[in-house]
Amino acid sequence: MFGSKIKIDKELLTRATDYAAKSGYSSVEEFVSHLIEKEISRQDESLSEDKVKKRLQGLGYLS
Amino acid sequence: MIKRLIQILSKKKPQNITIVSGLPRSGTSMMMKMLEAGGLPPLTDKLRTADDDNPKGYYEFERVKKLDQGDIAWLSEAQGKAVKVISALLTYLPPTYTYRVIFMHRAMPEILASQKKMLIRRQEDADDTRDEEMAGLYLKHLQRVDSWISGRPNIKRIDVNFNEILKNPQPYIKRINNFLDGILDTGKAEAVIDPRLYRQRES
Repeated sequence: MFGSKIKIDKELLTRATDYAAKSGYSSVEEFVSHLIEKEISRQDESLSEDKVKKRLQGLGYLS
Repeated sequence: MIKRLIQILSKKKPQNITIVSGLPRSGTSMMMKMLEAGGLPPLTDKLRTADDDNPKGYYEFERVKKLDQGDIAWLSEAQGKAVKVISALLTYLPPTYTYRVIFMHRAMPEILASQKKMLIRRQEDADDTRDEEMAGLYLKHLQRVDSWISGRPNIKRIDVNFNEILKNPQPYIKRINNFLDGILDTGKAEAVIDPRLYRQRES
């Protein structure tokens, strides 16, 4: 599942590992993957809301 | 003591604000007109006048557009009235009031076709986003709004399908009237429905 590797600061990795264990993640990899997915989804959402907003402004329904 | 009791009893009870919402071109103006004909006064400033896109008027109140900038003072005026608030601005309504939301739905291809015509008339870019993409964006947007509404105890909601109400208005108007505690003259509300305005039919 985790075929690729990324480099991360050792101290940050220790903190992430501790946090992942405390939060109920089965591994630090699962925790990091979840964080990345959440962030990408948040950005996608913001981008899509921007497009909706632009359309509504064009139609004169938003100032 | 009696004086105090009279004061309490005579104090005006805060009234619901009726919100007509949905995506632009989903039949919100027609619903506003129905409510007005049925006896529920609209909050409108008539600044955006009737045109080819909305021959019977927009029923808008300009300050609604500033909800996202924190302009909420006008909401006290909206109590006991109907006001049009597009779905994208609903989430800016403060929890201070109680709202009855009539949420309009319409076949997405019709909404997009009607919006495109309107963008062209307004000399805006009508092709900046493909219809398939825009439909997906709107569906996501509506899911977010649904989720926001469902978490608000001060909001009651009814969903009305524009396509269906044109085909068979009576049961819908009955449901809307029940939702509004029976305040409407349903015959007058129904008389407003004008299928000639239904110009973006799905083929």
